[in-house]
Amino acid sequence: MRPIHWTIAFALVAGTPAFAQDAEGLTVVFAEDSNSDTTFDPRVTQSRHEEQVITQMFDQLVVADSTAKIYPGLAKSWEVSDDQTSITFALRDDVTFHDGTPFNAEAVKFTLDSIKDPALGSQGAVDIMGPYASSEVLDEFTIKVTYERPFPAGLGTFTENELSPVSPTAVKEKGDNGFAQAPVGTGPFKFVSWEKGREVVLERNEDYNWAPEFMDNKGPSKVARIIHRYVPDASTRVAALEAGEVQITDLTPPLDMQRLSNSGDFKTVVAVASGVPFSAPLNTSKGPFADTKVRQAFMHSINRPALADSLFFGFADAAYGPISSATPEYFEGVEAYYPYDPDKAAALLDEAGWTMGSGGIREKDGAPLSIYFPALMEPESAVALQAEARKAGFDVTVENVLKQKQDELILNNEYDMLVLRWVLNDPAVMVIPYHSRNIPEPGTFKFNWSRYSNPELDKLLTDAAAATTPQAREQLYADAQKLIMEEALVLPIHDQIQSIAYSADLDGIRFAPGNWQVRLYDVRPAAD
Amino acid sequence: MTYFLRRLITIVPVLFIAWTLVFLVLQVIPGDPVNLMLAGRPASEEVRANERKRLGLDRPVLERYVLFLANAAQGDLGESYRTRQPVGTMILEQAGPTLRLALGGLIVGVVVGIVLGILAGMRPNTWIDTTCMMLALAGVSLPSFWIGMLLIYVFGMTLGWAPIVGGGFAALILPSITVGLYIAGGFARLVRSSIIEALNQDYIRTARAKGLGPAKVVLKHALRNAMIPPVTLLGVQIAVLIGGAVVTENVFARPGLGTMLVQAVLSKDLPLVQALVVYTTAAYVIINVAIDMLYGLIDPRIAAGRGA
Repeated sequence: MRPIHWTIAFALVAGTPAFAQDAEGLTVVFAEDSNSDTTFDPRVTQSRHEEQVITQMFDQLVVADSTAKIYPGLAKSWEVSDDQTSITFALRDDVTFHDGTPFNAEAVKFTLDSIKDPALGSQGAVDIMGPYASSEVLDEFTIKVTYERPFPAGLGTFTENELSPVSPTAVKEKGDNGFAQAPVGTGPFKFVSWEKGREVVLERNEDYNWAPEFMDNKGPSKVARIIHRYVPDASTRVAALEAGEVQITDLTPPLDMQRLSNSGDFKTVVAVASGVPFSAPLNTSKGPFADTKVRQAFMHSINRPALADSLFFGFADAAYGPISSATPEYFEGVEAYYPYDPDKAAALLDEAGWTMGSGGIREKDGAPLSIYFPALMEPESAVALQAEARKAGFDVTVENVLKQKQDELILNNEYDMLVLRWVLNDPAVMVIPYHSRNIPEPGTFKFNWSRYSNPELDKLLTDAAAATTPQAREQLYADAQKLIMEEALVLPIHDQIQSIAYSADLDGIRFAPGNWQVRLYDVRPAAD
Repeated sequence: MTYFLRRLITIVPVLFIAWTLVFLVLQVIPGDPVNLMLAGRPASEEVRANERKRLGLDRPVLERYVLFLANAAQGDLGESYRTRQPVGTMILEQAGPTLRLALGGLIVGVVVGIVLGILAGMRPNTWIDTTCMMLALAGVSLPSFWIGMLLIYVFGMTLGWAPIVGGGFAALILPSITVGLYIAGGFARLVRSSIIEALNQDYIRTARAKGLGPAKVVLKHALRNAMIPPVTLLGVQIAVLIGGAVVTENVFARPGLGTMLVQAVLSKDLPLVQALVVYTTAAYVIINVAIDMLYGLIDPRIAAGRGA
């Protein structure tokens, strides 16, 4: 398990560096794969794209590195109560927001209370906060956060961008919507301007002196300006990188990654995202997949390592379980389930009563083994699956659908399998696609697309999230992963990867926890 | 001027019908704006319910429709579901880059189109004609994402003559050519046939008989009379362009109304779609009026005829 793969350029190319370093200092242009950002208010956001910008401008009370290890951030220390219903933070006393507002316990209380207020319309933070009850300012730099019930995951939630403290002065001055357009935090970079659909400009916070200890840099960043440039077309991102117009590209196509890292002008880094890998939930409520044996046969009929290899050229590995190998509490035992085994697949289908019919499609009572597979993402993966399953006698119909069509099919339970992925740095993500309360109903959109209901699994997931010892938590999550695999609820396909390519003239690229966003604070000219 | 006003008033019923249709279509097509906005996030039912309430989506359809019309009549088109910004502001922000690209594409298209059309029309059925018309055909038929990528590869990466996604005026060069080549294609073909027709007219024979050179005959006498059909086509194409060029915007990472409309429809952002309908309808009418006026400038007989 190697969540992050680095390639290092062997030779630095002589000549002018590919980035602009003039009297004003180093400017880094980050080419981002989306152009649909709408808010940079951490309290409101629910988008990983917006978080890429937010993470440069905001700090958190506690900070996690890319391995999810927790370090002091805006809080120097903390104490979790024995019953896990409250956390007391001792805050730094030397921090100011970009607008000069002093950072203190009142600012933290303001942030958390405002998230709870429905008028804000929080889409992410309010869920992340869980059973938040209230905050109590004990003195200027001490705050006690209380929950309605024991919340063992509480401390971890404060590493999330969504719970970053915001400047109360700025929010009151600009209003919530105004703040979302011109945010004010305590982070290493300050907001300068935002040209919608084109770029966001950030500049260095010269007063910044509170970086977490795992950063190499101390004090203000070596980067003077960040231009966050929206470039939705992947080929254009790569072309702009090669022409020297941008220095970092995200979601770089695997084929280009290889070429770029071989050229010596660029370095690449690939990280496995935490959360649910790119997977296909199998609909257990109806059709052929209602039979566990058929689901298991389907899993055995797919050569996942070969599939991942041919689609990603070695940059992404096959996935094996309900959560990715980079997610905390990943259970390595899942890798033993359902190896590629056409004979086993055939035997299971025979047992289930599906006999090989004419034309290589299996049949039962005269009906063909047809699977309807509406695919929202990665049509190439869907078609590859279709071809593999065909060999075992499955007649998979792949339809490329838009989100609207997919949602309609989900609400009406009109599918046999779908594709799902989710970036979240917490094994609790499994509640979303596997807890029975999340089975979609007409009119209520939810994410248990396997439509699997088992009180035992529900209990495992609920207990795991509330476990008070690391051992219990590990055991419960492992049991949940085992159960999901035994029941063959989902075909994990491949790891979700974030593939970053950047100029060989730069150093210090760091992933934020979850392995999706990139922290640019530590970036500096490469030592030569 | 009264003519212009008369044309402008026709916008009102058009808008009413367009709004009603858009409203109905967005009700019928599947998908809940709140779920679309939270695209694949583990947001709880509380978050979803709160968002529906905030956007007024918990009210009956008819009530929302009447409310929208009442607000629109007062000039308030509302706020976007997704961005929480006034839709007017959003369109204004995106109108700049869209109009710049439209203008750039127009200049390239008209210049290239006229040159190709005249060259072909002066020597019909020769190799010059064939070559020019092949180029015109290529312009219309090659998809803009392909032309865009080719331009990026040749002029952006290999030769380094023009920026790919860079800022400033130069960033307009490659996208303008991409859009312009498409316009030039259709334009050139119409210029060619009009020139051929004009060159067979009596007044051209007279001009030639007076001893004018071929350049003067074409540019001064034939071209002007030949411009009515191409200008009509141009009017339609400009109207399309100011609605945004979504493919070109995507390839060159440009903001614009095309991208905004696609995002708005996909996320069922009703207020934004409705406001874009106002914008495009108004733009169509204004451009049509402008083209009508241009006819008069090109051919004074038309203006005289309308005045009578």
